[in-house]
Amino acid sequence: MTAVPAILSTIIFFGSLVLIFTEKLHRSITAIAGAALMVGLGRFFGFYSEEAALEAVDFNTLGLLLGMMILVAMLEPTGFFQYLAVLAARSSKGKPMRLFILLGVITTVLSMFLDNVTTVVLIAPVTILICEIMGISSLPFLVSEALLSNTGGVATLVGDPPNVLIGSAAGLSFNDFLVYSMPIVLVAWAGALFLLRYLFRKELSKRPRGVKAIMRLNPAETLNEPRAARRILIVLGGAVLFFFLHNALRVSPSLVALSAAAVALVWVKPDIQEVLKRIEWSVLIFFGALFVMVGGLEGAGVMESIVGLLERASNIPPILFGVGLIWVVAVLSAIVDNVPITIALIPVIKGLGETGMNITPLWWALAFGAGFGGSGTIIGSTANIIVTTLSEKTRTPITSKLWNKRGLPVMLVTCAIASILYVIIYNWF
Amino acid sequence: MNISSCMKQNVVSIPATASIREAAALLVKKHVGLLPIVDQDDKPIGVVGLRDLLSLELPDFVRFIEDLDFVHDFGAVETTRPSAKTLDKSIKTLMKDAITVEEDCGLLRAYALMLQHNLHDILVVSKKGKLIGVASRVDIGASILSTWPKAEK
Repeated sequence: MTAVPAILSTIIFFGSLVLIFTEKLHRSITAIAGAALMVGLGRFFGFYSEEAALEAVDFNTLGLLLGMMILVAMLEPTGFFQYLAVLAARSSKGKPMRLFILLGVITTVLSMFLDNVTTVVLIAPVTILICEIMGISSLPFLVSEALLSNTGGVATLVGDPPNVLIGSAAGLSFNDFLVYSMPIVLVAWAGALFLLRYLFRKELSKRPRGVKAIMRLNPAETLNEPRAARRILIVLGGAVLFFFLHNALRVSPSLVALSAAAVALVWVKPDIQEVLKRIEWSVLIFFGALFVMVGGLEGAGVMESIVGLLERASNIPPILFGVGLIWVVAVLSAIVDNVPITIALIPVIKGLGETGMNITPLWWALAFGAGFGGSGTIIGSTANIIVTTLSEKTRTPITSKLWNKRGLPVMLVTCAIASILYVIIYNWF
Repeated sequence: MNISSCMKQNVVSIPATASIREAAALLVKKHVGLLPIVDQDDKPIGVVGLRDLLSLELPDFVRFIEDLDFVHDFGAVETTRPSAKTLDKSIKTLMKDAITVEEDCGLLRAYALMLQHNLHDILVVSKKGKLIGVASRVDIGASILSTWPKAEK
């Protein structure tokens, strides 16, 4: 490996991370600029090419994300998410603690199968509405929804973008996640819920004033297009079924997701322009550009040298190495977006695998760290940022100080639970 | 015809030193929808309207819900009042930029500005920038309509 390409590509990648972290430039703009610079300089110095850049893009990840985004984009205007929240509000009979648990469970289950960000974007506004009608602060609910969706998303292959990336890179199937990740996540999730109940006990014990108004909410009226909602849910259910089988059928999860999107589009026949407007293109572009950038790092041999460094440190027992990875990734994910971290670490772990190390447990460590770490700070995950922005419009805005007292403990507890269980079941990985 | 022919000349305004509470009281007393905020020289530095004051009562969350028809009863929202601390804040915290026209401004130009900025009332200032009047959409619109040709007998 020659020094110049390695230094150049490292500067481009870490420069981009700094820009993303400091929010000086939108992350998608940063990623496009970084990717173009990487390919341009790569061509000039001979460490990267257009063909190599295309090969570096993981289209399985992009296809899976796009397919799920299309399904959610179709489900969004039907009012289904409002329906669930209103149903929860009525079943809570105006008891804040019961509402807290119900909304927490709904958010978690949704974020296991849909993107966390989408789940929170759709549930948070109705949550604020319900809390305002009841006359209680929406703050505990919003904070918990973000934290529980961060936690719940780790459970499945499709729950969180880092999982999609890890599953695609490591060849882990939907069922692998159900067997190895789900049980650990469920315990960590229960821990998070109990902790949040305790931390917010004061706010949740207030007596609401608007219970009568809550009971007058009619869930049926929230569904704008019940027929479309039913059809999309049937397709989503079918997609989940095929996710279970994708390994046995030897089809990629992205084919399942895109086929489901195609079936739903043909069956419901929505206004395609409206659907495409709701797709988060900036996220897909961010992913694509990051793949290209990390491909450049690999081309310049940076990953090999990192692997070399880690190999020397691999006198550490593998269990400790895995637990260490959980915490290092968690701390990094709390301060920077977990997607670039995951994309950058995937080639490193693959490289470690080539040295003969058993890397299967490391993939899970990466997933837990990337997923649970995002809870730690107010900017740790997009879900956190969304609930914070929405809460600024309410009487009780979420502050960074408050997040450190509520979110940070949740990150520490979920990471601790994951670490303990990781050690216990290490030999089964 | 220009705007000075149809504006109301006795404008209710409030100094920039006033509190939100004082502004609200003046709106109630004079039964108007818009208060210009003026400096010592009577020059408008901003406006505060009913909508700005009511935003304290009905926060923006309503706008995040696409369809509110299913909510039949606003419950606690109906009886939640802004805190005393909020009401003691300076009116400047709610102030919006004042859109003004000079006294010789044409009626259709004034109307077009109001449509563009979504205003119900527009402030009229003298050449020296002093606040001399306020015209509502109805004042301007009725004035324009009155110039339309009458039916021939």
